Amino acid sequence: METRLLILNADPVFHDRALAILDTLEEVETRIVRTFAESVQVLMAENFDGFIVEGESALAIEQATNARQHFPSLKIVCLILYRHEAEIAAAAEQQEIGLLHRARSERRLRQTLASFVRSLDSHSCTPAEGIDPCHSLIGNLNQFSAAEILQMSCLSQRSGRFTFKSGRGNSEIYLQQGSVRHAVFGSLEGESAVAEIFRWRQGRFYFEEGIISQEQTVDRPWAHLLIDNLQKLDETLELVSV
Amino acid sequence: MRDKELETRLRLLTLQLDNWKKLHDLITYGLDKTKPIISSEQEHQFTEIRANLLQETEHIFGELNILAELSGKAMNVLQRSVSVRGVRDLTSEDMRRLEMEWNAVFTKLGVAQGQLKARRKQLAGQTAFAYYLGRLFRRPAIAC
Repeated sequence: METRLLILNADPVFHDRALAILDTLEEVETRIVRTFAESVQVLMAENFDGFIVEGESALAIEQATNARQHFPSLKIVCLILYRHEAEIAAAAEQQEIGLLHRARSERRLRQTLASFVRSLDSHSCTPAEGIDPCHSLIGNLNQFSAAEILQMSCLSQRSGRFTFKSGRGNSEIYLQQGSVRHAVFGSLEGESAVAEIFRWRQGRFYFEEGIISQEQTVDRPWAHLLIDNLQKLDETLELVSV
Repeated sequence: MRDKELETRLRLLTLQLDNWKKLHDLITYGLDKTKPIISSEQEHQFTEIRANLLQETEHIFGELNILAELSGKAMNVLQRSVSVRGVRDLTSEDMRRLEMEWNAVFTKLGVAQGQLKARRKQLAGQTAFAYYLGRLFRRPAIAC
């Protein structure tokens, strides 16, 4: 399977040393964008195994840090021209951003890029999503059911990620402007994962605002999901009471 | 196998085509009289795309050996379309010429991209050894 790379390079025609090397690597597909806004747009729409930000170190780190806020599981590296200062290295490390030095020798640069691509092969293909270290809502499922919390968030047109943690495991529901976009629980995905979470009566949850899922496994409106799942839940409860 | 030169050409062509498409989107918006508002962001985008094309067109066309054929038409498009607002103010004759010349450039680039992709597909099924062996035996005999 091909490794897909998104490359942010403001001047890909005249500063193309790295691009020319990546062109020749087998099983690598590249997509080049010139601006950060364009890269976010592309990352939202498509899946990539890695994101390379090429350019002057301070700007590249700033752009990579910005990308990290929205796509936490994405492998991001900065390909910078000069040896980086300790401050830049620390900032990159904090954000889990790799730093690649654009070596003058073509052989060394090829080795650097090839080793980065190889590292992506072993990188698990988790859905790319964003992160915000601040949890804007934290609670307990004993007090509020998943249906209540989701109803409240959908009505207020929230976008972000709900993480539910219980003895059964962890699950995630991604909202986008008041609609459920993606849900995952173990091997379950989409509506079946939502249905599973609806049944949980114990556990904790937290919500991280602004996290976006690139994957879409749920395409029905929230109201339909709610009615269906509450009905299913009633049926289950009926079975329990029998 | 991957041919370095082919991949470079394809990359340059894709970047160039991408910019021609974006330019066309903004020109089309400018020509659409039902959309009265042209934002400063759109004008900024237009200038950026135009600047990229002005810088890169000659170099890329040169690499693709289509400089003589397309350079004049491309420059006409870029000179005539000064801004989104400027496009809106063009006479119908200028507008028609602009669209014709944009189309000529776009068509040629599209065809060239297709040819390069076909060549890439052909090469993908070959090993480097088979490729060079084939080239060796295809070499024409030179009469002394």
